[in-house]
Amino acid sequence: MNFTTDKQEEITRNEWLSRLHNIHITRADMNKLIMNYLVTEGFKEAAEKFKIESGVQPSMDLDELDDRIKIRDSIQNGKIQEAISLVNNLHPELLDNDRYLYFHLQQQHMIELIREKNIEDALLYAQTHLAERGEENPEILSEMERTLALLAFEEPENSPFGELLHPSQRQKVASELNAAILEVDATPKLANLVKLLLWSQEELDKKKIKYPKMNRFADGIIEEPK
Amino acid sequence: MIPSNMDVEMANTCVDGLMASDPESCLKTIVQIKNAVIGNNKQKNYVINEGAIPRLLQWLIDADVAIGLRTQSAVVLGSLAKGTEENIQSLVEAGSIPALLKGLCNSDLKFIEACLRCLRTIYLTSRPPVDLLYQDATIVPHLINIISKSACTQECIASILANCCKVRDHQDVLFRNGIVAALAPLLSSSIYKVKMPTLKCFAVLCYQNEEVAMAIATATYNGQAIPSLLVRLLARDETSEMQMAAAKCLTFLCRGGAISPQENNIALKTLPTLVRMCKKDRTLEENVEGAEMLAYLTEVDAELQKVASISDHIIKTLAEYLKYTDVQQISTRSTSKLRKELNWSNELRQAAFRGFASLAANDEDIRKKIIQTDNLFDHVVNGMNSSDVKVQVAAVRCLHSLSRSVQQLRTTFQDHAVWKPLIELIQQGPEEVLAVASSTLCNLLLEFSPESREMTGKNKPILEAGAINILVGLTNSTDAALRLNGIWGLMNMAFQAEQTVKTQIVESLGPEQLFRLLSDPHPNVLMKTLGLLRNLLSYKPHIDTIMNIYGTQIMQAVVFILEGDHSVEIKEQTLCILTNVADGEQAKDCIMGNEDVLKKLMSYMVHTNVKLQIAATFCISNLVWNEEGAYNRQAKLKEMGIQKLLQQLLSTSDTTLFEKVKKALHQFS
Repeated sequence: MNFTTDKQEEITRNEWLSRLHNIHITRADMNKLIMNYLVTEGFKEAAEKFKIESGVQPSMDLDELDDRIKIRDSIQNGKIQEAISLVNNLHPELLDNDRYLYFHLQQQHMIELIREKNIEDALLYAQTHLAERGEENPEILSEMERTLALLAFEEPENSPFGELLHPSQRQKVASELNAAILEVDATPKLANLVKLLLWSQEELDKKKIKYPKMNRFADGIIEEPK
Repeated sequence: MIPSNMDVEMANTCVDGLMASDPESCLKTIVQIKNAVIGNNKQKNYVINEGAIPRLLQWLIDADVAIGLRTQSAVVLGSLAKGTEENIQSLVEAGSIPALLKGLCNSDLKFIEACLRCLRTIYLTSRPPVDLLYQDATIVPHLINIISKSACTQECIASILANCCKVRDHQDVLFRNGIVAALAPLLSSSIYKVKMPTLKCFAVLCYQNEEVAMAIATATYNGQAIPSLLVRLLARDETSEMQMAAAKCLTFLCRGGAISPQENNIALKTLPTLVRMCKKDRTLEENVEGAEMLAYLTEVDAELQKVASISDHIIKTLAEYLKYTDVQQISTRSTSKLRKELNWSNELRQAAFRGFASLAANDEDIRKKIIQTDNLFDHVVNGMNSSDVKVQVAAVRCLHSLSRSVQQLRTTFQDHAVWKPLIELIQQGPEEVLAVASSTLCNLLLEFSPESREMTGKNKPILEAGAINILVGLTNSTDAALRLNGIWGLMNMAFQAEQTVKTQIVESLGPEQLFRLLSDPHPNVLMKTLGLLRNLLSYKPHIDTIMNIYGTQIMQAVVFILEGDHSVEIKEQTLCILTNVADGEQAKDCIMGNEDVLKKLMSYMVHTNVKLQIAATFCISNLVWNEEGAYNRQAKLKEMGIQKLLQQLLSTSDTTLFEKVKKALHQFS
């Protein structure tokens, strides 16, 4: 064991930034990263425009995005059953193979019914479809309970589970489905980089190391070590 | 246009709709059923119970029905197959497979793909109806023919064939129909889901099949040899699953004799990959498969065993496997349907034992290292007492490899009394362990050492546990390998043994069984039986006692073998028995009184094979040895012209023979 602990090297913000400036990332690489984001997330129009602007070639034929876009649109418009039907048409094995994903679609359908205040149908749907899901897989019970809890509130939007009614919930389900259709790990590379940064900072925090930290990702501002 | 508020609630009302005659409404109904059953096992059961399968099959095979409807039928059938094993059973019983296979002859790709997906699901179950695929000789060529049509056909057909190649016949049929050339391009596919079943297919094709292994190892695609394409998939940036599958292919190619174990692809690529799979940071499933594959790869090659044993602390790593207890983990890779609870503690233990068994097969230093593993022998004994046959077999195999070390036999093996569980296993254990367990017992009974008298004492408990009867029992087996182990064990036991042990062996075996073994069709069994006789007939007083009782039968058997069509080794061993007989006192008369045998000896003295000449001369030398009664024997042999024969043999160029001849002549007074 080493008893003489080395004095931790402390890096100032300026030194860190100057080191960062020494790393050269080409514009072409940045553009590829953006194109990758647009294509995997199915933003066809943006991808087309970006292609003209930047000259970056997308990794796949943009017309292939149409099907995925249609499915994404259905979910974002709350038409879950339409989305399910489309998926079954294009990828007939997907929802049979990934029952957890299917549950999330069903859960979203339930949420949409609650949003429409269609309590009767919501209850019926929960009984006929979701109850069985809970039997198959106890892990999803808690997720189901949170959804059903919405029914207990006069104004579910303002309930502790109101976030389920937020548009971001649709977005989440849409992304999950999109990723499943793409089969590979379809997280955009950009998102993975941010995750990596978060993880590294967390590791450094755990070891109580002082370093210039990025707290606000939206602005990308790096703060002095504290 | 998709109706937004479509009723996917219940298929109940829909099944009736399947009987409608109007194709338009049929299509509408079937789409509704499809959306109801996908992802919902309850609905699948309901639809099946309502009798939908026959109706769907009718559409599937009816060429007059619109292809859209037929495709939807195949999709619904495909979804039904994604339910329970019973659902699949229902599909198979209803005759779905021939119908789906027939569908593959259609020209519509979407329809073919739907049929293939359904077939693939059915064939991925634990007990796939494999024979149906080979019943009609046109099916396999057609499958191979359409494999390249699309990513879906590639993926599905490779999966189906990987699961339908169970025996050598299957390998040969697939091979003859050009599967190697059809699969080769798929190894460079950019699609993961195509590459994986392709690798699995290559593995099952060449497993223990030298011809196919050679064909795969020498095939190329785009100027690249298949082994190099496989090696590329061992790279660390591929998934563990893929590295493992590629390593498995290369292992099977190597064991199939198509790639030398010393080639870089094996020793420097495949082996380290497998060692890597055994590391703690991998899943238990990969640990088990990695160790099993490593055991198989290194099983018969001493050089690979050496390399493996010093690769990244593999012995320590495998020793860790033995420490897991009560680990229950759901298999990570298999799909939900095939998911089964495995006893991971057992899986890991047997994998480690098998690894050790291979590594320790030849090298004494490796054995030492393995034996130094904490409580190894306790683990092995526990393993032998396990209720899991796989663990039992693996534990005994490990013990067997270690028992090849004379030094370990005298130390560790004695300290742990491993013979006890071993004998129990032979007596009561499952059939699978018999061969290796009895072979291990043979090793335990070996006595080479100069202080062997003392060793007999150590073998005493084994004797008292009834080892002789167990071994004699094995010599009655219909399985030649077990007969061999039985007689081998007796032979080892008789080596320099006390008179009582020898008598026990002779009495327990009985003359009839002994002579049955002397006419055994397997030369190895015969050889060891002769060895047993030779060991019994050593040490003068023993020779006389045994010859006194069995003299006639033994001499008969000897003549029988010398006259028979046997290898030089067997004849030499038989002559050595005569030499031993001639070493007795009264026993000498058995030979002297038998002119037949004496003439045989004379003919072997001038045989073209010098080994047989030496053996025969040695026997004569014993007969004329100057001791009681030697004068008469010498006179008789002189009269027969044997002395003259010996004088002629002095001109031999073989020094050993010359010495023996000189010694024999020297005895004549």
